Amino acid sequence: MDIVIESVIEMISGIRTWADRVVTGVRDYLADPIEFSEFYTLAVRWVFPVLAAAIFVRCVLPLLRDRGSGRIWGYLEIRDAYRIPVLHWENSIGRSKLSDIVINLPFVSRSHAVLSYGESGWNITDLASKGGVRVNGEKIEKSGKVEFGDTIAFASAEFQFLPPEEGPENSIRRKSRLDLIADLGRNLTAGKTFLLVLAFQLLGGIQILLSMGEEAELRILYIFIILAAAECVCYFILSKFSRKFRELELMIFFLCGLNLLVVSVSAPDQLTKQLVAILLGMIVYCGIQLIIKDVGRGRKLKYVLVACSIVLMLLNLAIGETRFGARNWINLGFITFQPMEFVKVAFVLAGTATLDKLLTTRNLTAFIGFSGACIGALVMMRDLGTSVIFFVTFLVIAFMRSGDLRTIALISAGAVLGAFFVVMFLPYIASRFEAWGHVWEFSDTIGYQQTRTMVYAASGGLLGLGGGYGYLVGIPASDTDLVFGILCEEWGLVIALIAVFIIVFLALLVLFLLRGCKSSFYAISACGAVSVYLVQTALNVFGSLDILPLTGVTLPFLSNGGSSMVVCWALLAFIKAADERQRPDRTESGREPEEITEEEGV
Amino acid sequence: MKLLTRRAFGLLILTLLLIAGLLLFGVRYALDASSWAHYPVNKHLYHNGILKTAGKIFDRNGEILLETVDGIQKYHEDKAVRMTMMPAVGDSHGNIATSLQVAYGERLSGWDPVNGAFRFDERISGFGSDITLTLDAGLCTAAYKAMNGRKGTVGVYNYRTGEILCMASLPTFDPENRPDVEAAPEKYEGVYINRLLSGVYTPGSVFKLVTAAAAVDNLENIEDKIFECKGEMIIDGAKVTCPTAHGSVTLEQALAVSCNTAFAEISLDLGGNTLQKYAEKAGFRNPLKVDGIRTAAGKAEISDAKGGDLAWAGIGQYSDLANPLNLMAYVGAIANGGVRVTPELIKEDGIFSVLPGGGVQEKRILSEETAQRLGAMMRNNVKEVYGESNFKGLELCAKSGTAEVGDGKKPHAWFVGYLDREDCPLAFVVVVENGGAGSKTAGSVAAKVLKETVKKIRNEE
Repeated sequence: MDIVIESVIEMISGIRTWADRVVTGVRDYLADPIEFSEFYTLAVRWVFPVLAAAIFVRCVLPLLRDRGSGRIWGYLEIRDAYRIPVLHWENSIGRSKLSDIVINLPFVSRSHAVLSYGESGWNITDLASKGGVRVNGEKIEKSGKVEFGDTIAFASAEFQFLPPEEGPENSIRRKSRLDLIADLGRNLTAGKTFLLVLAFQLLGGIQILLSMGEEAELRILYIFIILAAAECVCYFILSKFSRKFRELELMIFFLCGLNLLVVSVSAPDQLTKQLVAILLGMIVYCGIQLIIKDVGRGRKLKYVLVACSIVLMLLNLAIGETRFGARNWINLGFITFQPMEFVKVAFVLAGTATLDKLLTTRNLTAFIGFSGACIGALVMMRDLGTSVIFFVTFLVIAFMRSGDLRTIALISAGAVLGAFFVVMFLPYIASRFEAWGHVWEFSDTIGYQQTRTMVYAASGGLLGLGGGYGYLVGIPASDTDLVFGILCEEWGLVIALIAVFIIVFLALLVLFLLRGCKSSFYAISACGAVSVYLVQTALNVFGSLDILPLTGVTLPFLSNGGSSMVVCWALLAFIKAADERQRPDRTESGREPEEITEEEGV
Repeated sequence: MKLLTRRAFGLLILTLLLIAGLLLFGVRYALDASSWAHYPVNKHLYHNGILKTAGKIFDRNGEILLETVDGIQKYHEDKAVRMTMMPAVGDSHGNIATSLQVAYGERLSGWDPVNGAFRFDERISGFGSDITLTLDAGLCTAAYKAMNGRKGTVGVYNYRTGEILCMASLPTFDPENRPDVEAAPEKYEGVYINRLLSGVYTPGSVFKLVTAAAAVDNLENIEDKIFECKGEMIIDGAKVTCPTAHGSVTLEQALAVSCNTAFAEISLDLGGNTLQKYAEKAGFRNPLKVDGIRTAAGKAEISDAKGGDLAWAGIGQYSDLANPLNLMAYVGAIANGGVRVTPELIKEDGIFSVLPGGGVQEKRILSEETAQRLGAMMRNNVKEVYGESNFKGLELCAKSGTAEVGDGKKPHAWFVGYLDREDCPLAFVVVVENGGAGSKTAGSVAAKVLKETVKKIRNEE
């Protein structure tokens, strides 16, 4: 009984102490009230991560829909009995299960032919098959034209090539395992998601403005308003003129918003430049998509860009300026840019090929040569990070091009190349590797940036300290190399991770959509582009956190940098081109497209 | 495109590597974010290496031992209190690893994983980041004064609740007027070590409490046995001596007069393994953690000792090294019927403190009988040898130790024990470095401190 009374008395006194503290606190507050900006930050730091998570989920779910659907471009019909839909612009035909059209009949080779659609209409290419290919009875050498109505024979198997149907039956719908998850998002509209993105950006802009206190420049708010307006225009164009899902662009708008939120604190005088870069990027994005809509035009673009790249590289080596140890800037007086960023676009295109070329020309010398030139130039410019990006992308693209034993030889060649530039870089690399894993021992010298990133990232906690209240922005090159840390510090770990997950999701999306690509041209360029994103992200984020040595590469979309921003949008065009799906509101209404089971074959 | 989908394998690997890296970061963040944030260059929390705003540190009576106002630290107004409490509270530069400013820096700074270093208006941020100690600043200061400038430590704690009431370690200095420690290395030897928590000394005869416990548990009829002390004993060529020949003594008498030859015989009978086991009960090798702060492990390498070494080990010499806090807890166990209560420094004011017996960490290390017998022997020590008049009214049970350290230096003076009173259930330890005779030197310090403590407790009731 005594114990109970004692406990109760102790509890009461505990409550009294607490109440005293509250009263003192309130009294102190009234004596010197807190500004509105502090209240704003207090409230809004809970809103931002929730908005970001909502935007992320609302974009990811719809993009996982309809994986298995695609347009039918024609049919191969066997003797009025069974017809196989032609689903891509390039279709490999053969007995192998990996063929797009599997024909399991005698005398058909494993990899027999490729039926492809190009500038001059449909073509059939013979892949050195045993049984040969005949069009309307005539044997074709290497490749020949076909038209709807023609009879195509693979060894002794004869098919009629028929045109696709008009109307809603010109596409198919396959069930995909991810449909279960994607269905959760079936009622999500892109419009509302877009509003969330705009809300985030405007609230964020106000946060930055308030954090500047008396030095606030209204100019910053105007920049965000212009960004919002540009995004609205872009969204409108997408809605009107494109049939594809808009969520991809919405995610990138979100990242661009974060970019401006970072730059407005770290380098407000560069804010206009960055906004112009974003606008330019959007234009380039739309432009490239229009150009590569036609594969033939895309191929021409490839040659143009490769030629320009070589000029840029020579120019860089001749008149390039050195910044932060790497000689990768060109200064034209009114503008400075990084040429090697633009070369990335050419590089990704340089590796692509249509399926017929891919399966016939085993020769990769041109691509290897160009890669060697790029990496060689980077070595001479001492840009360690970008050379790694090119090298890894090279491996990814080369493997996609050739596929098998050949790759082992290529990788060996690559390894030799790799060893070569390690030797070239020795004194330069040595200092990076010395600090790697031990940054705390060198916290005031070569480990300075990484340790500060970790210190300030941890200060942000999950919710962040509020835009404009960070210290990491004060460190040189933090808004390019340490931008992940700035996001953690000011916007919180949740938002920083979501931003990086968006880039990871882009990679998963490409892998997800590969099946449905019309042409291997789009497939390979998408993989190349996303590979660039991945390696850059890994080097940037892990370098700043001492998981990898620190190299000076930018984080896609998020780092401050005009060239980087424009080029990221350009690469995004290739990723978008891999997406063949149509929005539900844009397919022709009425009947359901015909359903087809997984295994297609005869 | 099936072919290409297959060949995009490389891209998949790249993606998985990126995800793996992010997971690695996540794990590192979960484990280390706190220490990253508390790196002294962090401008959100620190200014010139010192926390900008921090919770206050109070003693058990609400005296402010440390507060940070506008980035400036203010310690207690009284210089003696400042100096006494410095080992517990810490100096402003984080030199004392076991001090609260270092060990509890995160709690004081108010950082947490969700909000990071966010502060909503500096003034209201003190919520929840204050710390109240169980120490009584007045008692600690009394202990400090009783030590009279000699190096060593004093510890007093409640062996039922675990609260440490007094913790003093010398040498020390005034954190508000930092002297040039490097210029006087003799004077400030080990000034950054809190000797109660992190000090290790040769225990000398206080180790006999361990040996005696082992004897009572393992040797039959040990309390009836008569030992013949002739003043010296030769074991395998090594000599064990007593200051005088004690003649015929029982175990109880041997403990009271601290007869080395008797205990040498006991150690040999017990053997190294058993003695080692009992040493580890007393915290040797498995030191306690006081509110998460590590104490020193001490040293006891007795398992393999034989002959003369084993004998000396059982007497508290050989290579034995004891940490005062761990010995104090051992004595507290003897007082508490064989159940050792882990000492603590921080007063719990959470919900657990309201529950009866809540929040106390305890472990049984001796049987109740053994504890009672040892306790009786220790009471006998005081009555027969140390003098009840020196410790009037305390109901003291104790053991002294005079630990030889060689090199022509005076031995360390130890005095450990407890008060067998329900209203003041206190266990204590006093070490005076190179202080000479245990009961005289350390004992007189203990007497002063304990009397003061009892007076305070009685006055509070």
